[in-house]
Amino acid sequence: MLKSLEGSWCLVLGASSGIGRAISLGLAREGVNVVGVHFDTAARDEEVAALVDEIRGYGVQASFHNANAASRATRDRLVPEIAELTGSTGGIGILVHSLAFGTLVPFLPREGWERPITSRQLEMTLDVMAHSLVYWTQDLHRAGLLRSGSKIYAMTSAGVVQALPSYGAVSAAKSALEAHVRQLACELAPQGIAVNALRAGVTLTPALQAIPEHADYVARAAVNNPHSRLTRPDDVAEAVAVLSRTDSSWISGNTIGVDGAELHAAAGAWGPAPTGTAGTTGNELKGEGR
Amino acid sequence: MTETTVSNPATGTPSLDKEGLRVLVAEILDLDVAEVTDDAHFVDDLDVDSLMALEITVRLEREYAVRMAESELVAITSLQGTYDLLERKLKEKGQAA
Repeated sequence: MLKSLEGSWCLVLGASSGIGRAISLGLAREGVNVVGVHFDTAARDEEVAALVDEIRGYGVQASFHNANAASRATRDRLVPEIAELTGSTGGIGILVHSLAFGTLVPFLPREGWERPITSRQLEMTLDVMAHSLVYWTQDLHRAGLLRSGSKIYAMTSAGVVQALPSYGAVSAAKSALEAHVRQLACELAPQGIAVNALRAGVTLTPALQAIPEHADYVARAAVNNPHSRLTRPDDVAEAVAVLSRTDSSWISGNTIGVDGAELHAAAGAWGPAPTGTAGTTGNELKGEGR
Repeated sequence: MTETTVSNPATGTPSLDKEGLRVLVAEILDLDVAEVTDDAHFVDDLDVDSLMALEITVRLEREYAVRMAESELVAITSLQGTYDLLERKLKEKGQAA
């Protein structure tokens, strides 16, 4: 049955921006203490400090670390600290992988892009946006911080099945991420730990705005989404809170759409009705003749 | 991995010397110090990707207690360029203090 999340801990990778930020705040609102890992230059210091204050304003603890979540050195340094903080209060109840750092260039030369992707960039993107989920899970598991009832969420995107010119490396990373989710779900099932990928719809985040061709894409998504709006970071935070309020691990190994059915809406069919067409009686689908 | 500190032990304030900077950059990039020549281009010669570039920037900001503007990051493409940028920023900071 539904449990309260109050007093538990979450670890959010990619906590300073976009969906990771919204999840940190959303869980704090539910009484969850937050360990946040983010990687920003000093230009964002004030913004991150304000976020930490806002989280603490909900009466929970916040421990934020400016470090490269994809590096082994960061995990080696932080996992013992996280154990110290959370070990006696149930470990990490919710692990969120929301790392958006990758190379956005096509695989082949193309107008507007002089240099196609390099192996280093492709490997870096896969390492940050996919493989780091496995490494964090390994290290937290080894430290005994993932326990029965814990939840793991990885942020994927419709880019897994839809190609954009610059998105090849990220699309590959998201595909790998979803595969990692399925594998971890099976391996962690005996311990009662659920692992799922959340596929947000098009959401206006700093990471999305870094995609060179995002403007057209966003405009079209706002029209195509059958809810007639884009996904908001809070929609995803809500989903994480809802899915976490159970000790059950039976919802596991899925990619769960958190997109208001955007992926399934035929392009252009759900926007404002075109003027001067479709009478109120509707048309019938005829089996023969025309 | 051990962290290299470049602070001046006498004063506790960051001091800039090129060899210390070279050691720090080599450590971040996991390269031999000898590979980080003054003019080796981080991207073209040392295979630095955008994540490592961010790693360098964040570490420099922390070690030297400076704040990089987006427009200044273009200078961080070689050891010499990075050194010149830091020297200028620390000087500005000294004047402001």
